[in-house]
Amino acid sequence: MRLLRRELPILLLLTFALGVVAFPYAWTLLASFKTEAAINRPLSLEFVPTLSNWRAVLFESKVPLQVRNSLLTGALTVSLSLLVGAPAAYAFSRFNVGGTRLRFAILVAQMLPPATLIVPLFLILYSLQLLDTVWAVVAAHLTFILPLVTWFLIGFLDDLPRDLEEQAMVDGCTQWQAFYKIVLPAIRPGLAAAGLFGFILSWNDLFYALLLTGKSSATLPVGIAGFWTFRGIEMGRMSAAIIVAVVPMVLASFFVQKYLVRGIGGGAIKG
Amino acid sequence: MLRSLSAFKYRLLIPLLLTIALILGYPLAFSFWVSLHDYRLTAIDQAQWVGLEQYLTLLTQNASFWNALRNTLVFVGIAVSLELALGLWLALLLHRKTTLFRNFFRSALLMPMFVTPIAVGLMFRFLLNSQLGIVPSVLRAFGVEMDWFSARNALLTLALIDVWQWTPFMVLLLLAGLESLPEEPFEAAKVDGASPWQTFWHLTLPMLRPTIMAAVVIRMLDAFKVYEYVYAITRGGPGESTETIQYHIYRVGFLYFRLGEASAMSYVLIAIILVLVVVLFYALRRESLAQR
Repeated sequence: MRLLRRELPILLLLTFALGVVAFPYAWTLLASFKTEAAINRPLSLEFVPTLSNWRAVLFESKVPLQVRNSLLTGALTVSLSLLVGAPAAYAFSRFNVGGTRLRFAILVAQMLPPATLIVPLFLILYSLQLLDTVWAVVAAHLTFILPLVTWFLIGFLDDLPRDLEEQAMVDGCTQWQAFYKIVLPAIRPGLAAAGLFGFILSWNDLFYALLLTGKSSATLPVGIAGFWTFRGIEMGRMSAAIIVAVVPMVLASFFVQKYLVRGIGGGAIKG
Repeated sequence: MLRSLSAFKYRLLIPLLLTIALILGYPLAFSFWVSLHDYRLTAIDQAQWVGLEQYLTLLTQNASFWNALRNTLVFVGIAVSLELALGLWLALLLHRKTTLFRNFFRSALLMPMFVTPIAVGLMFRFLLNSQLGIVPSVLRAFGVEMDWFSARNALLTLALIDVWQWTPFMVLLLLAGLESLPEEPFEAAKVDGASPWQTFWHLTLPMLRPTIMAAVVIRMLDAFKVYEYVYAITRGGPGESTETIQYHIYRVGFLYFRLGEASAMSYVLIAIILVLVVVLFYALRRESLAQR
């Protein structure tokens, strides 16, 4: 009983915090089932739910194409990041190539404001005639996702005991074989977490996608930004599109949360 | 054997270094070259060498740039300090072993940080809109008339939206920091009859300081990049009251097509951020030395 009296205020506080976190989502979800007229009366609780917004977004808009573009962009960015980042992370972790300084230089690259890179990237991609292709956005996303994925993997590799590869090499594996037959499978959760987190970042980016894509390669955030055209006119449809963008990432986050702290702190803890 | 080892470790690194050179090194160098030219998107073949002129005008005459920088600093200052205070408080609540439904709250409260900022910006534009929004409507029912996006309030509102989205990140890092603290000092404090407040002030806070500093630095650098909320809601207005640095560079470069000037701005921005980081790290190191 005393326990309950002490815990109840804290429970209420946390529930209130959860309410603040959840309310915008809930309200947006609700709006996606309202007509524009009902959206214009925010205080009246009664409305006749309609599927017209969802029908418009799923069948008559560019949202499905944009979802496809976002998936493709994210998948390509993450695959390239893992392919290039994993061997490098192994070199940093096992052989300490370049020392702590190079490690942190990689992290600093991740912190560069996109505003500093967008002008040259735009011009280079323009002269390569790659603007409005998936590759343009992939190149831009690599600038921050590749350093991040590498940083994540260093952390996971630091935690892996060295006996594993040494044993493999005693058994006659070459160093390269030991790396991709023994080490990579052993850090599979790390690869998955780094990849999934990289994917979330790519899926969520607006800045690069807005400036480097056109009609055919626009990603979902660009599409969402385009809905607010006239005041309130496409509110319902925009809400549906927001739900499409938000829900998959919230679900994915439940899988990465556990690894996130280890990943962010990863390469630094050892030093 | 030794030679093959060193060849092996560099071979592992080559793909990364090449990619970084290609997507970061070359663009940055090119951008510096662009910043020394009067380079317009509308007349790319007629770029004219102007040397450091654009840097000089930027530093001495460009009021918009400095206004954007000031807005960004105000935004970062308000957002990050609120995030730290709220994040620390929530982390402490979620760290207590007796808190009910602790694991559920831990995952659920992190939700905002995984969502695309443009969606967050638009959701809040909708919630706070003076005609359609539920928040002003409810406030009006209580007799409070408030325009969230007026020239006076807009920057603060954007900072509060940032607090909504990124306090969870603080909670995440601070919780990890709390969890890694040793238990003995806390048990000793309990035995000595220290009050919760004393324990927090004299034990938790000093021991948590490295985590706090790291979390603040990461959040600050990230908040410096704020763009989506501005794009979604105010587009820099009313006037230039919410124009942030990232938005300003975007506007000059891609709405006014003055790429040379935008590049010069981005180099000044890099310099400012570097100075900030160096100062913060020195402060951090002096503090950790003083503690020894």
